[in-house]
Amino acid sequence: MTLRPTPQFLALPCALLAIAVFFAVKEPAFLGPRNLTQLIVEFSIVGTLALGMFMILLTGQIDLSVGSGVGLVGGIAAVLVFQQGWPASLAMLAAFAAALVLWLLMGTLIVKQRIPAFIITLGGLLIFKGLFWLVIQNSTVPVSRGDQDNLYSLLTTYYLPNHVGLALAALVAAALAILTNFTRAARTAHGLPVPPVARVVAQWLVTAAALVAVAHLFNQFRGVPLTLLILSATATTVYFLTQHTPFGRYLYAIGGNEEAAVLSGIAVHRVLIGVYVLMGVTVALTGFMTTAYSGASTTTVGDLMELDAIAACVIGGTALKGGRGTVWGVILGALIMTALLNGMTLLAVSPEAKFIARGLVLTVAVWMDVKLSR
Amino acid sequence: MCASAHSSLDISHSSFAKPLLEARSLVKKFPGVTALRDVAFDLRPGEIHALCGENGAGKSTLIKLLAGIHPHGSYEGELRVDDQTVAFQSIRDAEAAGLAVITQEFALIDELSVAENIFLGRAPRCGPLGLRVAWLEMHRRAGVLLADFGLAIPPERPVRELGIGQKQLVEIIRAIDKKSRILVLDEPTAALTEHEVAVLLSHLSRLRAQGTACIYISHKLDEVFALADRITVLRDGASVVTLTTRDTTIPSVIKHMVGREISDLFPRRPVAASASEPTLSIRRPVAASASEPILSVRHPLAASASEPILSVRPPVAASASKPILSVRHPVAASASEPILSVRHPVAASASEPILSVLALTAAPTRNAPPFLRDISFDLRAGEVLGIGGLMGAGRTELLMHLFGAWGHRVSGDVTLRGQPFPAPTPRDAITRGLVLVSEDRKRFGLILPQPIGFNLSLSSLFRFTRTPPRWRGLWGGLYARQLAPIDTPAEHLANQHFFTSLRIKAPDQHARVGGLSGGNQQKVVLGKALMTEPTVVLLDEPTRGIDVGAKREVYELINRLTAEGKAVILVSSELPELMGLSDRIIMLTAGRIGGEFARADFSQEKLLAAAMGRGAAQRGE
Repeated sequence: MTLRPTPQFLALPCALLAIAVFFAVKEPAFLGPRNLTQLIVEFSIVGTLALGMFMILLTGQIDLSVGSGVGLVGGIAAVLVFQQGWPASLAMLAAFAAALVLWLLMGTLIVKQRIPAFIITLGGLLIFKGLFWLVIQNSTVPVSRGDQDNLYSLLTTYYLPNHVGLALAALVAAALAILTNFTRAARTAHGLPVPPVARVVAQWLVTAAALVAVAHLFNQFRGVPLTLLILSATATTVYFLTQHTPFGRYLYAIGGNEEAAVLSGIAVHRVLIGVYVLMGVTVALTGFMTTAYSGASTTTVGDLMELDAIAACVIGGTALKGGRGTVWGVILGALIMTALLNGMTLLAVSPEAKFIARGLVLTVAVWMDVKLSR
Repeated sequence: MCASAHSSLDISHSSFAKPLLEARSLVKKFPGVTALRDVAFDLRPGEIHALCGENGAGKSTLIKLLAGIHPHGSYEGELRVDDQTVAFQSIRDAEAAGLAVITQEFALIDELSVAENIFLGRAPRCGPLGLRVAWLEMHRRAGVLLADFGLAIPPERPVRELGIGQKQLVEIIRAIDKKSRILVLDEPTAALTEHEVAVLLSHLSRLRAQGTACIYISHKLDEVFALADRITVLRDGASVVTLTTRDTTIPSVIKHMVGREISDLFPRRPVAASASEPTLSIRRPVAASASEPILSVRHPLAASASEPILSVRPPVAASASKPILSVRHPVAASASEPILSVRHPVAASASEPILSVLALTAAPTRNAPPFLRDISFDLRAGEVLGIGGLMGAGRTELLMHLFGAWGHRVSGDVTLRGQPFPAPTPRDAITRGLVLVSEDRKRFGLILPQPIGFNLSLSSLFRFTRTPPRWRGLWGGLYARQLAPIDTPAEHLANQHFFTSLRIKAPDQHARVGGLSGGNQQKVVLGKALMTEPTVVLLDEPTRGIDVGAKREVYELINRLTAEGKAVILVSSELPELMGLSDRIIMLTAGRIGGEFARADFSQEKLLAAAMGRGAAQRGE
């Protein structure tokens, strides 16, 4: 499955550039290392959730409960750490398990009882919100006791030391080179055409330079944020799953034509339950990151994040009807969404206007999706 | 019914009559493709004008242009109705001008009743201001129309519950009832049984007599010749020729369509014409003829030698006693013993049926009345078992049930290669070597937005993955196979193999399936089924809505499958096709077996009688 450049695929980087230029002109600090670092942390949070949502949307399903879920999972971990005094790692593990169970339950209900996902997850939105507020007792629960750092709080406050960041960039570049070479060798072994060496090398050089440049940019402030690594790991996993495993093919197949998928011998129920469980995984990761980013679990954590995640997917070209979308698109979509929110915060736009802007972006993105689906 | 305004006009097929509809040098381009390069044709009042051409010749594009789906301005050339240039912007405009288009895609609303669909947007009204729908009146009128077509469907029944053939008829009824002046029928009979076709054709003839003109698109040339006054042949987006039906012949139309002559549509086993033994003979390896070699070479000089010097037999059924490969010395032709003789290792067990169905009764759901009753048959390797019957006789239901896709088994046993075969899901069926090619390829066969390669390998992905054995434990085993990486180059090669060998016409295997013509889509579905390496292939109307060239390729493919020792169950509404391809035919009637026929007993009359439920009585007495 080769990526073919579509008009939309080119439109996304252009839109991102336009947004960056606009905010940079209005407020030069937008492109400063400090703000960029902050932006990337926010981007990692939205992006991770969007990647889970991406797989859900690919199958033609939807999950409206993730915003509340993010709050709930973060809240459970915070309560266990702050009130029960659990070690952060154990608390997060318990909250993670809770997320898996909840999403396994929702997925099973949707698939086995044939209740539309829209309804089940709308129910989930309300139930999780209620549970969340019950868990934190409508109060503010910090993610660590006193001012001590723990694994939980470090999620969004840890930055790689400068040399480690650079070394990591080099390591990823090296891994890419090995992987490219490996794929190439496999294709050659099967007698399939391969792109010319010069182009591959040029592409790799550009990518490697970009990686090092990004690491260097972050080093201007505090270093590469840990959250970016979490996002990268999630994106790599989702990319591998969707592009290189039967599971991923089945997601596209089910979204494209569920009846044909069943008759093609696909275990549709199992795939759908699996994809909800994976959604649970990204909800847990996002829950930890976003709660840590706020410093404490409060009643508003995770509010409307389901819509940000859906918007990021749709902006990135994922079809709401299912069957179409790419990881790259979702990443770019999440970046656009975050850049808008971050820029508006930087310009001290009022919350009212921010809501309206968010809504407009979502509407325009869905409108574009409808246009494209024709 | 309709006032006799039309029928009072005496419209003969005189060439002086002004054309009702005329297309002049139409050109329609899509990005990268020119769908129509130069199409000219005219439709006279009261004529049935057939459009013929292979899939991809531009018929569908032309229809969409006539129907206003491709609006005026998106094409070059001129479209005239009643000698006036028209500029349809939408389907509505075309309908206003008296055109009714019935396309291959249904324009019915599944959730509404048959009557509501027939009277969609023009329901009879009653009450003050005509605000209320006159339901009784509507149902009564719908009932009359349905009865006219010989359809015993209650008008209140939701369209969703109808079969594909019945839906098509409802759509035709709707268009005919709208009293459109120009009916455009795109493959109206593709899904109909012979009986339903006959009914439709008689209706069209009647309408013609009343002055309705009709553009008729069909791959079934028999119908075209039975019905059409003139035929326009399209090839590669251009109108090649317009012929008067009574002055031409089927072979000549086919010649124009394909640009070459297809002499023999059904590639049957060659039958030795002369009594003397041929030097080289090649037979189609079917079960019935298994005792005869499929390849046999005699010494051209030692003509008297009774035994061939080389003979190859299919490794199936009856051949157990005979070697599958035998080579004799070409000179010492008198030597009685071959110098090389190979026997099939499992020939003895091959005489057992591969698939055996015993007293099968199945129902749509647990408490519903059964759609299949007391079905029994055996299927052997290398055999084509034909299943015929009228629409709704249970042909599709039988295949879908065997495949595990539809229905609840009330009673009966199915055995696949000696093992019980309950087939609760299609996945199990595929795993056990039984695969289905559905009649409705767009709904059940293809992921249309995805590329050809994606579709081809979809059922066989586990062939290209390697799962570490220790993953196959309890819970992990559920997902272990799905999460293992696909060997993409190997998959690409397998796709390429089927892409090439099935001669799928597309730039490459990355082309989207949705953009292919019907015949090529069908080849993708077949390829997907074959990649699973099945032993039993269930084919439901495999040539529905595909062109002559592609049909022949499908026939050859069926022969190739049986040659490889696979067993095929073939469902077809076209009796000549069924008779041309099958070794045995079972006719279904109302979910039961109405008659079973060996090849020697094939005749259209007998088969039809069995389909109508008269065959069983004949057999019984």
